[in-house]
Amino acid sequence: MIRGLLSAFVSSLLGTLGFAVLLRAPRRAWIPASVSGALAFTLYWFLMQVGASEASAIFCGSLAGSVLGHILSMRMKLIGTIFNALGIVAFVPGLGLYRCMELLAMGNPQEGVQAGVAAMVSILMIALGLSMGHWCFRVFRRSKRKGRQEKRRRDSTPGFTAS
Amino acid sequence: MDQKQYMRPLELAGRLIMENGGETYRVEETVNRMGAAFGLKGVESFAVPSGIFLSFECDDGSTETAVLRVHRGDTDLERVDEVNRISRQVEAGELNCEEALEALEEIAGENRIQSPALRMAAAAVCSGGFAVMFGGTWKDFLFSSLLGLFIEGITELLRRHHLQSMVSLLFGSFLATLIPICVSALLPGLSLVTEAIIAGALMPMLPGLAMTNAVSDTMRGDLMSGISHFAEAVLTAALVAGGALVAAAQFRVMGGMIR
Repeated sequence: MIRGLLSAFVSSLLGTLGFAVLLRAPRRAWIPASVSGALAFTLYWFLMQVGASEASAIFCGSLAGSVLGHILSMRMKLIGTIFNALGIVAFVPGLGLYRCMELLAMGNPQEGVQAGVAAMVSILMIALGLSMGHWCFRVFRRSKRKGRQEKRRRDSTPGFTAS
Repeated sequence: MDQKQYMRPLELAGRLIMENGGETYRVEETVNRMGAAFGLKGVESFAVPSGIFLSFECDDGSTETAVLRVHRGDTDLERVDEVNRISRQVEAGELNCEEALEALEEIAGENRIQSPALRMAAAAVCSGGFAVMFGGTWKDFLFSSLLGLFIEGITELLRRHHLQSMVSLLFGSFLATLIPICVSALLPGLSLVTEAIIAGALMPMLPGLAMTNAVSDTMRGDLMSGISHFAEAVLTAALVAGGALVAAAQFRVMGGMIR
């Protein structure tokens, strides 16, 4: 299991790093974006190993990729597209779409449609994961901002002592 | 300052984002934010992957409008990020219209050609990594990396001869499929996971960013751009599949000769 996890992490790290260069992401984002993509894929791989369905594993992986992407984007002051695109690149069903086209062209409509539906499910799960990640991040940031405002208000109120 | 002059930085910012692979919502947000920071009233923008429409109200009551046709180039997320940074600086009052225009023109004027060696190395690492992710072994990593490197080299050569990207895609996927199946047939002792190698070598050609943009545009309710990006992704996948199918058919023809 540990060996498999390591293999999944290293291979996805390399795959995402290659994509980061090909998409011409800023140099300082290469490593953080690759690590975020690798962590998201390793989570997906682990969930698949423990018997989760592919759809739920993709959802969890995309959610992790999206949350990490938002955090990195805020910390590094870079656009979210870089981290979001690289965080979920391992799940994007480009290969699924390719298989669908291949099967349809080879005169195998039933399997082609099945591959197409599987690709669509993956897309839906990615969309759901990304939007949930975005929402989680916004809620977290709002609560943090609220906490900061509250602290400032308490600090500026004369004679106020925290209980 | 003549209000018409404000249009130029807005146009350039939108064009640069769109040409370099940014999302349509980012174009609209950037233009609206910059317009508001310049003190313009009624700034409206509408972006689709192939064009941008911009307008704002002038003080004399007239409306200034621009329609831009955008041709997508190679993806360059660094440029998108730089334009985004400029728009933030404009919003914060750190740059005025002239300074923003100057900075944007500098970005647009730079001829940033990525080193072919770097692209080839990236394609190699990407192909190898994905080959292992798709169930290959580290031996397949090595083979897929070499294949990715070779295909990127060929694609680069085709690009230099101004061949359309569609042709490079077809040819690249043809080679990415034909070479591994031929090697597996000729050297069965290597026991390569052919499917993983093919999948890994095809990954740099597959529409990852188009799919991501399709998802993020659709999620924001921009169905037109979402569908347009999705169609781009499907067309790319179809082209890659086309090249692979031709390779498989070619192998069947060559099969008799190999045996």
